[in-house]
Amino acid sequence: MEKVHDMGGRREKFGPIDRSDHQVEDWERLADAVNIVLNAKGHKTTDEMRRAIESLDEYREMGYYERWAAAAELLVVEKGLLTREEIDERAAELERRWRGA
Amino acid sequence: MIRPVAGARFAPGDAVRVRDMDKEGHVRTPDYTKGKPGRIAEILGGFPNPERLAYGGDGLPERPLYKVGFRQADLWHGYGGSPADVLFIDLYEHWLEPREHGGEEKRT
Repeated sequence: MEKVHDMGGRREKFGPIDRSDHQVEDWERLADAVNIVLNAKGHKTTDEMRRAIESLDEYREMGYYERWAAAAELLVVEKGLLTREEIDERAAELERRWRGA
Repeated sequence: MIRPVAGARFAPGDAVRVRDMDKEGHVRTPDYTKGKPGRIAEILGGFPNPERLAYGGDGLPERPLYKVGFRQADLWHGYGGSPADVLFIDLYEHWLEPREHGGEEKRT
């Protein structure tokens, strides 16, 4: 059974590797930082993170740090650090602040 | 050896084959190596099992991890590069079986 983490080398299926780069955005640095802290504090491991990333239904459509952020969200909910509702509420609050409401 | 491990089943130079099996959950063994012939290049030592670590387990007892060499021509149908090209992958012992009869790596 083929999953996202073991599709290496399937050029005939996925075409050549996209080697284009982009300027790292602030939220990507934050996603990286949050992951480092969660690991450092023992809340999750690299292997759990890999497993969570592999489980994302929209893996192929997501960017690198979108995967990180989504997988970290799965794990903090799974471990009871935050609830889905708390995350959604906070996201909505940030959205309101961003819009200046 | 990076980390000491006792009771490793294979030694450098041993002919092995990757077990051709599906396993639910998180595995670190790439699908394209399954069933393919390789050769032990190095014993890397004992490491916690990532298949358990991925679900919050402690991954113990540690499993022997090997650096295994594969001929690229064995891995990829119609491989266009040099027949001498070899790919090295780190694989855990429970994914390897001894390869004694037939199934030799492709010769250059």
